[in-house]
Amino acid sequence: MIESLFQSGALDVMERVVRFTEQRHGVLTHNIANLSTPNFRPTDLSARDFQASLSQAVEARRNGGQPGPLVLRDHGDLRFRSGRIEARSAAGGQNILFHDRNNRNLDHEMKNLAENTMAHNMAVQMIRSEFDLLESAIRGTA
Amino acid sequence: MFGSLDVSASALTAHRTRLNVIAQNLANQHTTHDAKGNYQPYRRRIPVLASGDPAHGSAAGVHVRDVMLDASAFRKVHVGTGHPDADADGMLNMPNVNPVIEMVNALEASRAYEANITAAEATKGMLNAALSLLT
Repeated sequence: MIESLFQSGALDVMERVVRFTEQRHGVLTHNIANLSTPNFRPTDLSARDFQASLSQAVEARRNGGQPGPLVLRDHGDLRFRSGRIEARSAAGGQNILFHDRNNRNLDHEMKNLAENTMAHNMAVQMIRSEFDLLESAIRGTA
Repeated sequence: MFGSLDVSASALTAHRTRLNVIAQNLANQHTTHDAKGNYQPYRRRIPVLASGDPAHGSAAGVHVRDVMLDASAFRKVHVGTGHPDADADGMLNMPNVNPVIEMVNALEASRAYEANITAAEATKGMLNAALSLLT
């Protein structure tokens, strides 16, 4: 019963979002750390592909009616392995190639970082309000 | 998530090392003798960055792989044949340091340093948001 409580509503969806944003944050900080490294190509995990995969999984759960955790399928360049998400190709940014063979794009990385951080914080907030809901239900008062 | 803080910290260390090398180049741009007093003009140092952080056994991050010597030619200055270190034509070898290039590199290194500070702040914000789940 406890499992179905945590898997039925938005909690599962938000948890997947948090896991994705956490992993993408690691990739983005690695790109920013290697802004000046020669022969480095920045990589990225596509948020758009993740969104598509997530909405497909939610649709499947809603239509199929089967209980249980969300099942995310590979989509575009993203591959979902146990506990990890992988980007199939190392394509990151279409910026010009500098003389040190690094196609860095600082503004693009900073924008992605800001977006990702906001999405992460929003998902954590929503998880928190889910737990607050559960807590008030247990208490019986608002 | 804590790995992201390590990545940003490795980048801060690497860029600080770059700035140190640049500062050394600027300080020694007129140095013609080495520590023992022999006539040996200072050669410009170049820090080489590489991905990964072997000091902490991590594949993510960045580190200074090597501090190379710049093999380009020394700058020749005419001082006259009376100078004790001048060659037969009265020319003296001066260090191959161009202060304009060093200043531009210093600007780029400090910009990269600031970018990594921002990334570390974002990581801290996300960690604090996750911690707020507990309270």
